[in-house]
Amino acid sequence: MRLLTTDFFFSIIRIATPILFATLAAVIGEKGGISNIGLEGIMMMSALFGSLSAFWSKSWVIGLLVAMGVGLAEALLMGVFAFKLKTNIILVGTAVNMIGSGGTIFLVKIITNNTMGSALTSTTSLITKNLQIPSIQIPLIRDIPVIGKILSGHSLLTYLAFLLVWLTAVLLYKTPLGLNIRSIGENPNAAASVGVSVSKVRFITIGIGGILAGMGGAYMSMYYAMGWSLDMVAGRGFIALAAQSMGGGEPLGSMLAALVFGFAQALGIKVSATGVDSNLVAPIPYVVTIISLVIFALNQRRKERRRYKAAV
Amino acid sequence: MSKKNSIKFSIIRGAAALGIGLLVAFLLIFFGSEGATLGEKFSSSLEAMREMLISPLFRKNGSFSLKNLSDVLAGMIPILFTGLATCIMFAANQFNLGAEGGIMLGAFVSSLVAIYVKLPGPLLIVAAVLLGALASALVMLIPAVLKARLGVSEMVNSLMLNYVIMYLVNYLMKAHLADTSKGITQTFPFQDNALIPQMIDNGSRLSWGFVVGIVMVILCWFFMYRTRWGYGIRMTGINQPFVMYSGMSVTVIIILCQVMGGFLAGMGGGIEILGRYNVYNWSALPGYGWTGITVAILAGNNPIFVPLAAFFMSYLTKGCMLMSTNADVPSQLISIIQAVIFIFFAAQQFLSGYRQKLVIRSAKEELAGNGAGEEVRK
Repeated sequence: MRLLTTDFFFSIIRIATPILFATLAAVIGEKGGISNIGLEGIMMMSALFGSLSAFWSKSWVIGLLVAMGVGLAEALLMGVFAFKLKTNIILVGTAVNMIGSGGTIFLVKIITNNTMGSALTSTTSLITKNLQIPSIQIPLIRDIPVIGKILSGHSLLTYLAFLLVWLTAVLLYKTPLGLNIRSIGENPNAAASVGVSVSKVRFITIGIGGILAGMGGAYMSMYYAMGWSLDMVAGRGFIALAAQSMGGGEPLGSMLAALVFGFAQALGIKVSATGVDSNLVAPIPYVVTIISLVIFALNQRRKERRRYKAAV
Repeated sequence: MSKKNSIKFSIIRGAAALGIGLLVAFLLIFFGSEGATLGEKFSSSLEAMREMLISPLFRKNGSFSLKNLSDVLAGMIPILFTGLATCIMFAANQFNLGAEGGIMLGAFVSSLVAIYVKLPGPLLIVAAVLLGALASALVMLIPAVLKARLGVSEMVNSLMLNYVIMYLVNYLMKAHLADTSKGITQTFPFQDNALIPQMIDNGSRLSWGFVVGIVMVILCWFFMYRTRWGYGIRMTGINQPFVMYSGMSVTVIIILCQVMGGFLAGMGGGIEILGRYNVYNWSALPGYGWTGITVAILAGNNPIFVPLAAFFMSYLTKGCMLMSTNADVPSQLISIIQAVIFIFFAAQQFLSGYRQKLVIRSAKEELAGNGAGEEVRK
């Protein structure tokens, strides 16, 4: 088995993209003190509506926008329950995930039955090549040997995702909004005492997360796979939470963590192609998550001890 | 607020959450229903709702159906256990979502014991269920210890473990344990003395496991509300520093509640598989863990209300199944109704304005009562 091929590295980036979108949503959320475990459900829902509207409108742009809109709407609804009705955010997220798994299949059945006369259980037949989010060949880079094959030819959204890593860092550390988000995450009462509207900033925080997860959903159903199918997000929203904590909550570190998961999954696909049972390979990313969380926590503890010793 | 008023408020709040859930269900059915005119759509949606709400207990002609009732009771068995597991973990504010994987692992391990271990009579059932429960409890040690010692999120770890368990069980099934003479992936049949006897022999699969479940409900309630450790678990959820300063070990409590949760979920798995089937054939996570979370929230994390909540969820599930066969509405509607009712139950501020009014009214009544008393004394 030849592992270090350009195809392999290309697939790491391809696989990491949806995780990266959700990871950025988790990073912004956690900075603002919001543990959004509903990212999984949001991605499912926007993947579904993204692919359906791309099919109806015959345009991937509309599909992408609808996916982002659905993500935003669902996140804001979560906000109403979490911030206005004082519901534990983890329970709100759990409810969103319930709708994301069973609810989406109900919705796709009744929607397709109403519009097309036959109840579909997936939309994989609806997204055709020309409705896919386009991939882009980058001039110049494309012509560099090896690197060109790895970095060029990805989906538009992939490049956007990596650009968003930088934008997220800028948002969090260079803008007044970012300062407000972080200060509310650290201490909402202190932020409120200097006149920050805590509720407004929290809605913005969770809303941005929703849009990002929406893009991740669109990528899943309109590029990664040709259409939506049940449970297609397969825990990526949860893995994003792990990537966030593994990356120390910072955009750049979390991006690297998302790439680690991309690597684990790409490796899995590679290994199962050699005939190893896929059930043995599929859990690798989840095991990697647990192990990496432990390593991160141990590191964190060692750092704290060193700091404590230095202080004494 | 007086006790009477606070019970009244809980009932009204619950009814309102239920009402909203059913209203959402009706709107979705209405949107999806077939019919030329609005009137036709309306009547066919009503018919579907009637199917969902009435038919789990009554036949078309209005007579009571014992078969359907026993179906509903049988459906309660797995979610009684996952509900209890979640109650105990959530009561300590440990958001461990591993009951889903736990019940699958428990079912799998119990099945292996039921197939391969030779033990006399009902001893085999006891051994199978206990080993399944222990396996699941051991696995829950992972998120529990990591949370208690290193502060790693038990939520993320338990979610990851659910997937790991599912894939490893599937691997073991496909690669080593499956009965290859069958078309679908399933194990060899359980030994006869491993099957849990049925309470009613009408095909509902209402086994004596149901009674075990109810006994566990009482034991869990006793543990949570009448013992020192149960008090510690509940206090950890309300005020963790208080537990620490009062000299109980928070570390032990965090580990204990999750291991107990794992044990209960695993036990549920064993009882469900040995009571309902004669081979093991689950190839995906069964979803009982998530329903268990709903059950725990509806029961307010109090074990004594778990049977009521489990009955309700099982009833609704059966209703949605009947609706999908008789009224052609996809049965997955249950996920949406479940999520809506669940979230309104969990929302602290839901109807808080009304509660405020009740508080004021009962305060006024009390004042008036005291005033009257004083006048009499004069």
